[in-house]
Amino acid sequence: MKHLKAINNKAHQVDDAVKTGELDEVMAMQTPVGCTATTDPGWEVDMFGSVAGLCQPMEADLYGCSDPCWWPAQVPDMMNTYPDWSKNADSASKDWRNLDSVYPDDKE
Amino acid sequence: MRKQTLFGILLILTTPLLFAASLDTDDSAGAKLIRSNCLGCHVPTDEGLSRISYQRKTPEGWEMTVNRMRLIHRLKINKGDLDIKSSGLHEIVKYLADNQGLAPSETQGVRYLLEQDLNKVETQFDDEFATMCARCHSGARVALQRRTPKEWNYLVDFHLGQFPSVEYSMFGRDRNWFGIARNKMVPLVSKKYPFTSEDWSSWLMTEKPELDGKWILSGHMPGKGYFSATMQVNQNKKDYYSLSVEGNYANGEAIKGTGSSVVYTGYEWRGNINFGDISLRQTLAASADGQTLRGRFYQKGQELIGMKIKALKDNPQTQLLSVFPRHIKKGETTNITITGSGLTDSIILPASITVNKVISQSNNSMVVKVTAKNNAAIGYVNIQVGEAKLTNQLAIYKQVNALEVVPSYGVSRVGDNGGSTPKTDTLFRAVGFDYGKDGIANTADDLNLGYIEDVTWQVVPRDEVAKKDEDVKFAGHMNTSTGQFSPAAAGPNPERYRSTNNAGNLNVIAKLTENGNEISGIGRLLVTVQRWNNPPLK
Repeated sequence: MKHLKAINNKAHQVDDAVKTGELDEVMAMQTPVGCTATTDPGWEVDMFGSVAGLCQPMEADLYGCSDPCWWPAQVPDMMNTYPDWSKNADSASKDWRNLDSVYPDDKE
Repeated sequence: MRKQTLFGILLILTTPLLFAASLDTDDSAGAKLIRSNCLGCHVPTDEGLSRISYQRKTPEGWEMTVNRMRLIHRLKINKGDLDIKSSGLHEIVKYLADNQGLAPSETQGVRYLLEQDLNKVETQFDDEFATMCARCHSGARVALQRRTPKEWNYLVDFHLGQFPSVEYSMFGRDRNWFGIARNKMVPLVSKKYPFTSEDWSSWLMTEKPELDGKWILSGHMPGKGYFSATMQVNQNKKDYYSLSVEGNYANGEAIKGTGSSVVYTGYEWRGNINFGDISLRQTLAASADGQTLRGRFYQKGQELIGMKIKALKDNPQTQLLSVFPRHIKKGETTNITITGSGLTDSIILPASITVNKVISQSNNSMVVKVTAKNNAAIGYVNIQVGEAKLTNQLAIYKQVNALEVVPSYGVSRVGDNGGSTPKTDTLFRAVGFDYGKDGIANTADDLNLGYIEDVTWQVVPRDEVAKKDEDVKFAGHMNTSTGQFSPAAAGPNPERYRSTNNAGNLNVIAKLTENGNEISGIGRLLVTVQRWNNPPLK
């Protein structure tokens, strides 16, 4: 971290947390069942236990999550499992309504 | 096709030696479908079929496995000449869960995942397991599987092959992820969640009870309150039942409905039932003697809106199931409902409670108008009918000193607005506490008063950022009387800073005014974005 310099608000937040020792605490933070604890930057919850540090809006960088299967339990991974997930949504910010739920629902 | 024929010949030549006890001869639809659909890839081995015969899972776990074959390996289930209405998925899952399931004891402590009771933070797993196996999905999802060491190894390999970024996302990078996964976690889970176990061997040998008959149910329906009901269960064929329910909420409103259920592995009850116009799913576990069912009912499509359920098989013998409400204030008169079986005798209460009138009494339910005397000592009182007793369920209290909001940390997800994912509501309830004779919190004489109905609910910003971003305004709506939070619409919101989503970091406040004093409890609510991947085990 010593070679990196914070230049935006989110990075300053991380810097502050490191200085106050808050980061160790939040890194170990557990999330409710169904939410990922991989908080870089986090899908449901950020490393501060909030939502303000998430991608805003998430649609702006959604394919940055799905392409490298960053949160495959929540977001369909397009690297291997659902390569065509975005075929009807070139721009996630505009076309997010065309993104389907992927788990089959054929329960009787 | 050629490959299938080759395996077919191999199968015929070696069947007596190779297959697990029943798969080669079982004439159930599930076994037939496995034989006709899975052998193209899963080859016969010394103990069954490769991969399949070395794992045990819950019905939901097997469903996810078969669906993964459909999604990733393009399996199209060929039903052949089988006369079944479904896609064939159900029949395969039924066979596998029955023959390679988990014993009841092997699901203890993690049934919340099966019950879709997800507003919980898993604290039972150590950090190493949590960061390796529970940072994307729940730890319970792993704990509800049993595999041979080789199969646990394959699971690690599958994760790395299918989701390669697992090595360089947070908690993956800057360490020897693969080495730790293979050399440390696999031995650990192989020991903790082994394929062979005495519990499973013994459960396979246990005669499973039929669950038809009349059942007595009790619970606390979101938005409606406590209820008692009876559920008539008729067997259509082994493990398949028709259901009809009749009962009442505490406010007198009638409950009537029908449904159906399937029992997997001899005890895993999965059903659907309507309580009037409310459609509920049932996830229950039957006891080995077939006399109790425990689990959760939750709304179809809104899994976080649900209730814990305990049911008793009707019996001429007197048994007590529940009492509600679970508190009577000193000096006050109220109606209490007792549920159970064989309720033919009079109710016996301690001298501190006067029975004014028995309003109604049947074999399964008794409504009694009672008064807690002014000089009654505060504390739990025993309820007795015949020889049966219910202890620590009904409290005489002086005042509500504190409210505990449950869940303490809930999650709600934005949805709808033309997208494919529905909004996920979440529900909060308030449990009351009287601090007891010493008036001090968290001491042995504290009284749990059960759910308190007359609270009002609100959400407030959890921190300064949430306040500045107006999360309360944008994230959704809290029903002030029921505690049910409905999130706002999915999608970028141009009215918000950077058009961000209608997410919010909120606190949930429950308030009760009693004798002019205001008592409040606080919980936490994360309103967040949707999931597009929604398997039954998250």
